[in-house]
Amino acid sequence: MKLTLTNHNFSTLLNSSFINLTRPFCSLSLSSSLSSSTSIKPQVPIFLRPPIYSTKLNDLKKWHNWAKNIAFSIGSSFVQSDNGPDSTILCRELKWFIEDVVENHHSLFSQVGDDNEKVKMRADIEELYCLWKQRIEERKPFQYIVGCEHWKDLVLSVQEGVLIPRPETELIVDLVSDVVSKNEGLKRGVWADLGTGSGALAIGIGRVLGDGGKVIGSDLSPVAVAVAGYNVQRYSLQDKIELREGSWLEPLKDMEGKLAGLVSNPPYIPSKEIPVLQAEVGKHEPRVALDGGIDGMDALLHLCDGADLMLKPGGFFAFETNGEKQCRELVDYMKSNKSASLCNLEIFADFAGIQRFVIGFHR
Amino acid sequence: MSYYFLRRRSLRITTTTFSSFLSKLVGNLSDSPSPTLFSCRHLSHALPFFSSTWLSRDAYSHGLLSPTQARFWASQPAAAEHSTSDGLTIQGILAKNWPILDENDSDWKSHASAIAQSIHLIKRRLQWKKLKVRLDMLSAQLNKEDLWDDPVRAGKINREHGSLLGKMKEVNGLERELLDDIEMIKLAREENDSELELESMKALLNMRVNAKEKELEALLADEQDSRSCYIEVQAGAGGTESMDWASMIMQMYKSWAQRRGYKVTVMEEMPGEIAGIKRATIKVDGEFAFGYAKAEIGVHRLVRISPFDSNKRRHTSFAAVAVIPNLGDESSSVQINESDLRIERFRASGAGGQHVNTTESAVKITHIPTGVTATCQNERSQHQNKASAMAVLQSRLNQIEMARQAQLNAQHTQSLTDITWGSQIRSYVLHPYRMVKDLRTNYEVSDPDSVLEGDLDGFIMSYLSASLDKNEDDA
Ligand SMILES: C[S@@+](CC[C@H](N)C(=O)[O-])C[C@H]1O[C@@H](n2cnc3c(N)ncnc32)[C@H](O)[C@@H]1O
Repeated sequence: MKLTLTNHNFSTLLNSSFINLTRPFCSLSLSSSLSSSTSIKPQVPIFLRPPIYSTKLNDLKKWHNWAKNIAFSIGSSFVQSDNGPDSTILCRELKWFIEDVVENHHSLFSQVGDDNEKVKMRADIEELYCLWKQRIEERKPFQYIVGCEHWKDLVLSVQEGVLIPRPETELIVDLVSDVVSKNEGLKRGVWADLGTGSGALAIGIGRVLGDGGKVIGSDLSPVAVAVAGYNVQRYSLQDKIELREGSWLEPLKDMEGKLAGLVSNPPYIPSKEIPVLQAEVGKHEPRVALDGGIDGMDALLHLCDGADLMLKPGGFFAFETNGEKQCRELVDYMKSNKSASLCNLEIFADFAGIQRFVIGFHR
Repeated sequence: MSYYFLRRRSLRITTTTFSSFLSKLVGNLSDSPSPTLFSCRHLSHALPFFSSTWLSRDAYSHGLLSPTQARFWASQPAAAEHSTSDGLTIQGILAKNWPILDENDSDWKSHASAIAQSIHLIKRRLQWKKLKVRLDMLSAQLNKEDLWDDPVRAGKINREHGSLLGKMKEVNGLERELLDDIEMIKLAREENDSELELESMKALLNMRVNAKEKELEALLADEQDSRSCYIEVQAGAGGTESMDWASMIMQMYKSWAQRRGYKVTVMEEMPGEIAGIKRATIKVDGEFAFGYAKAEIGVHRLVRISPFDSNKRRHTSFAAVAVIPNLGDESSSVQINESDLRIERFRASGAGGQHVNTTESAVKITHIPTGVTATCQNERSQHQNKASAMAVLQSRLNQIEMARQAQLNAQHTQSLTDITWGSQIRSYVLHPYRMVKDLRTNYEVSDPDSVLEGDLDGFIMSYLSASLDKNEDDA
């Protein structure tokens, strides 16, 4: 799985005429995805790199105009083909791109200012051309371009091989925050985030737990574990969050019946829908993070067993699903197979009104 | 040497005022229900203040006074009219109508006349009579025993009282200073002390400049004026034409705000299908942003040859502007119940979740009981968009509440509340002639470009002064 992904990237890199392979950043991204699981070095997001490049304001404006024109030329063609971004969204991304790259980005848009003035940047101007082309021509997700995603009040590092956390998932942290605010015991207990990806949920929850509260984040993907580790460190939560590599419950054998809470946003897209996903998702995000088997329920059903097995009495769980159908199937499954252990089942909608989460408690 | 002697002499006025203040205070104490306990404690607290020349208004604004102490200070009404030893008063100076000469002309009468006129204007702008009535009313409330049963309301009353009293003190201070300086010049002449005369003349000139500045400050004397604000622009009927105009107006405010050194953040923006914007909201952060921007509320009209009309016809477009003060998380803001809110993903479509990767995470919050909504889309996470939209919603609800209260007790502050979408305030003509004219003040300029590039201060100042100065007999 991981190898095919790498090969795909590699060939695109070779085929794209605009990429100069001698550019350091290209070799960096190559080496990191080829290296073995133990020595994975997470990429540093652009906004955290030192501003060691310097460019004439004029050249930066030229690039900006070029990039803006491309964004405008897209119109709504991506929307029509696969519900992708329109030019309004692309223009906003461009603005954020500049915020991340240019040290003093306000100067770029003020009318006054000498065009020969130098601006300090965190990436080389040629790299900017290269990256924006990747955004438009390859439909590489904006978050992989800048290497980060703003999620809740966090800025999480992401890179190819790790799912970009979704806005919907933020709500799980709110649900947990509600629960622990009413229950000191859960607030100081051990929680688990299975399939932690970038570590978003683990970090979000780690920050709402009280003294003594801990989170174990686990993932099958070594890239995910490395990136999650990087993010945990950035928020100085090493003491509160532990990361383990392995499949679902396997790395948590020592925690049976001990967890105060269990959350997961597992892969839940039905396999047959994978080929028709929006290009940013289908072509760039890891399949292992998306594909939930024939009806998308493989991991979710497995996690029900996990909740039964791992939670202590009174423990809380929250799972994200594909929508109303999966929510209902999941609740039905729990009612008919787990009613001895799981109770107070509830379905929660996201802000788009789609029934998205199943929550409940261990008896 | 004689300078110091004189200074002491002129202090006499202050002392008189002070003793009447003291007798008031004592009188007040004897009225108090539990005189012993109450008066002793507070008198001893209050005494250190007595030793300073006058109750400093800073004691209020810097929070040196406790609410209960404030109760006593509050009962001190404005001082009686001051006069020099030979009976000259501010009214007297005004009545003399001494000609006002250039600042460089060392003529004390000219300076005095200019200062007296500034003071007069400042009083008018502060709506002096209403201010006194309001201050008395607030003082009466501060003296009520049950005041602190409702700490939020008490805090509000205390704050407003402090700020009004401060303004009153400042003006009274100006009046006293003017009379003191005049007295000193007269004395210097009597005693042929040319050094002192020069010095006093300098003091008078300083004061003249200072008073002129205060005239401007008095334009922004409302409680909310110093706040940051939100500016909202909405395109009128007429499709692309007006949407383009709305975005030109928005650009004008962005540039204006930047010129003034304010920070501008785009909160929401609904682009038009072909060009321009349907509506947009920006946040303008900085001192007095609201005080100035409130002058822009209303409908703005544009006449030009349309760039969207292939027949090159003349078109008229409209855009409406609303301005809302940002009250921050002050205790006086309206309480919002979480259960009264509906939060929706803005422009959501499709399956969502893992299916979709989008950087668009705007949310729309509806306050169900009032139907008021707010949207924010400029932030990079849904969480932050929600937080910013909540702030906008809070400001809108506060605004509505302020309007309601202003109607209830017909407050002296000019309330801005009903967003006057109906009333046209300014006309921008690009063709057949070029002119921008304010329909409220008739202020006009013949260079629309400079105005659209943000040179708005002329319009704003003339409107603010006109709206405050029109009431002649208020002072
Ligand atoms: C939809 S992503 C969610 C990532 C992250 N929790 C979030 O919400 O952004 C699913 C995650 O589950 C991981 N995963 C897939 N199969 C797994 C397995 N068998 N055991 C553990 N993790 C797995 C993927 O690597 C991916 O990181």
